[in-house]
Amino acid sequence: MRKFLAVVKHEYKKVVLKWSFLISTLLLPFLMACFAVVPAIIFSLKGEATRIVVVDPAGKVAPRLRENLSVEKMMEKAEKAMKDSLKDLNASQEEKMRQNTEVFSSGFRFVDFDSRQKTPELVRRELAQKIAAGEIDAYLLVPENFTAKDAVFEFRSRKAGDFVVSSAFEDALNEAVRSQRLADANISEEKLKELSGNVNLDKSGLNEKGEEKDSEGTWAAAFVIGLMIYITLAIYGQAIMAAVVEEKETRIAEILFSSARPFELMMGKLVGVGLAGLTQLAIWVVSAAALLSFLALQADFSRIIASIPAITPLMITYFLIFFLLGYFIYASIFALIGSMVTTVQEGGQFAFPPIMILLVGFYFSFAVIRDPNSSLSFWVSIAPFFAPITMPVRILAETPPFWQIALSIVVNAVAIAGLIWLASRVYRVGMLMYGKRATIPEVWKWIRQA
Amino acid sequence: MSETEATLRLENVTKRFGDFTAVEDLSFNVRAGRVFGFLGPNGAGKTTTIRMIVGITGPDEGTIELFGQRMSSEMQNRLGYLPEERGLYKKMKIVDQLRYFAALKGMASADADKKIDFWLERMNLAEWKNKKTTDLSKGMQQKVQFISTVLHDPDLLILDEPFSGLDPINVEFMIEVLSEFKTQDKTVIFSTHLMETAERLCNDILLINKARKVVSGSLREVKASFGKNLVALRAVGGEAVLRDASLATKVTTHSDELEIQLAEGVSAQMLLAKLLENGAVISKFEQIEPSLNDIFIDQIGGFKES
Repeated sequence: MRKFLAVVKHEYKKVVLKWSFLISTLLLPFLMACFAVVPAIIFSLKGEATRIVVVDPAGKVAPRLRENLSVEKMMEKAEKAMKDSLKDLNASQEEKMRQNTEVFSSGFRFVDFDSRQKTPELVRRELAQKIAAGEIDAYLLVPENFTAKDAVFEFRSRKAGDFVVSSAFEDALNEAVRSQRLADANISEEKLKELSGNVNLDKSGLNEKGEEKDSEGTWAAAFVIGLMIYITLAIYGQAIMAAVVEEKETRIAEILFSSARPFELMMGKLVGVGLAGLTQLAIWVVSAAALLSFLALQADFSRIIASIPAITPLMITYFLIFFLLGYFIYASIFALIGSMVTTVQEGGQFAFPPIMILLVGFYFSFAVIRDPNSSLSFWVSIAPFFAPITMPVRILAETPPFWQIALSIVVNAVAIAGLIWLASRVYRVGMLMYGKRATIPEVWKWIRQA
Repeated sequence: MSETEATLRLENVTKRFGDFTAVEDLSFNVRAGRVFGFLGPNGAGKTTTIRMIVGITGPDEGTIELFGQRMSSEMQNRLGYLPEERGLYKKMKIVDQLRYFAALKGMASADADKKIDFWLERMNLAEWKNKKTTDLSKGMQQKVQFISTVLHDPDLLILDEPFSGLDPINVEFMIEVLSEFKTQDKTVIFSTHLMETAERLCNDILLINKARKVVSGSLREVKASFGKNLVALRAVGGEAVLRDASLATKVTTHSDELEIQLAEGVSAQMLLAKLLENGAVISKFEQIEPSLNDIFIDQIGGFKES
């Protein structure tokens, strides 16, 4: 037991005291913070307002345009865009860009310009001079017959390359002209709102108790959890493999085996590295909690935060339990591979199948998010290899009955016992085999040998 | 047998790997306070035997007893093992590696730190304490590995080819340390193919070939049993005696001296008496013992022919 603890301590320190551990531990919360906080900051800064002159002889478009580009309207739009981007993970690139455009668009400031008694040519020349002098940034000439199909609106801007400004402006102008056309068709403003308003789709889900819960944000949170487990399992599994190969490659194994039992050494390594992984996760969980409570204080985000499902301490406990189950499943597979091969590169080829299984588990989590109560979700959240990713995702999306969680834990614990038994048999022999990679029949023979 | 008499006892030990028999029916004792040379050509089964002794693998048949008991985890704490294929963690500080190896041998950390400082000082490696393995030369790494073997003050030291790759100064230094162990009544087993070193250091030897024991016993006994009745002679006169076929079967001239093969039943004393009788003036008369090297080549070579 004392030797086992010595191995645990050694392996834990070996991982935690490395630079890469420190960097990866700090980097993830930092990236998450950037992802969440930076847009908020940029949004709050807003760009410099675009100074614009609107020449509208009929005076029908300008007031509507002014309203559409008002700060209140822009805010409303930006908030909606924010919500959309969180909800809609499969949005196409184009869509994404448009949403971002709306988030980042800066305001407009209207500059008065007297165009009476001036020919269009004179107006153009004067406005062009103003732009050149830097007095204004853009101008819009509204044609007399603006409702006609072939009417051309002339928009000239210093910032023509600024797609953010021009696309926001185009949207606002389109809306303004459309409204005016409808108004001309004798459709009142009230009628218009009534006709063009969005359908009010109530998208709340129901939990098992029949209580309504907001499903916005569940997607994001479940996805983040699934991804986090997937990444940590892949990283720590391969770290185990590299550590095993190092001891084999440098022939340290022989000294170790003359000091302690191979089983103690292997288990010590698994537990030590596992504790390091747990340390990292704990840091992430704490920093995520801190980040969320910071965001909750920001007025702009309070509504989104409120829609993220409540994560209870029980959920975090389950989350850590399933991380550990997954860790021991994959770590023992990687330890087995490490003791079979002669170099890390060779191990990389063998690491492919378990990584694939892990990836399939991650993909299953999408199906689980979409329908947490389907029979597919049930089976993949019980099955060994997949459950460590899919069950936490399922718990977050829609907590299943306790017996299912318990069954999943038992099934995976049994799988771990079997895998560790296999791995320890291969490890014992494989660590002392130098020179060539073991073949599958050889490994099978080691397993059967008493 | 009590502990003081035999540190290690192997009885009818056999180890197989599939169809290949690595060690067959091997029995021997290693006495306490002796240096035991474990000799044999490559592939004879030395490393397999050593791995069984240190408890890395178990024998298929037969028993191995250390200090009068079967192998156990606690027993491993009394062993120091330096494998032939040895290594260190590449990116770890020397002191951290030594601490880990000491902990695995059940040492308390304060005790280990004291010993680490002592040995690093002794091996002239004190200033490398906080350096990483990759900063050390090959010879320094070997010294660190040796420290990890002796750090916990083992009662039995097992060294597999300890001198390979060491420069002559470090070989002398290692021999000095090993001699110290011997005076502390600790037992040393080492395998080597350097017969001269073995001859200098060993009290007892065991020669194995093709998984089986060939020769064993104290160095003196072994040499005596392989004595070929050779005499080296440097003398003026007495030629007539040497021509007598009933005394000497063969006389070979080596630069300024003669090597004489005595006839059967003739002792060196008898030849010396005859020579003196015949008025030979003798400046050198020496009974030649076969070197360990000769025995090795004789025995292993003989096996090759059969």
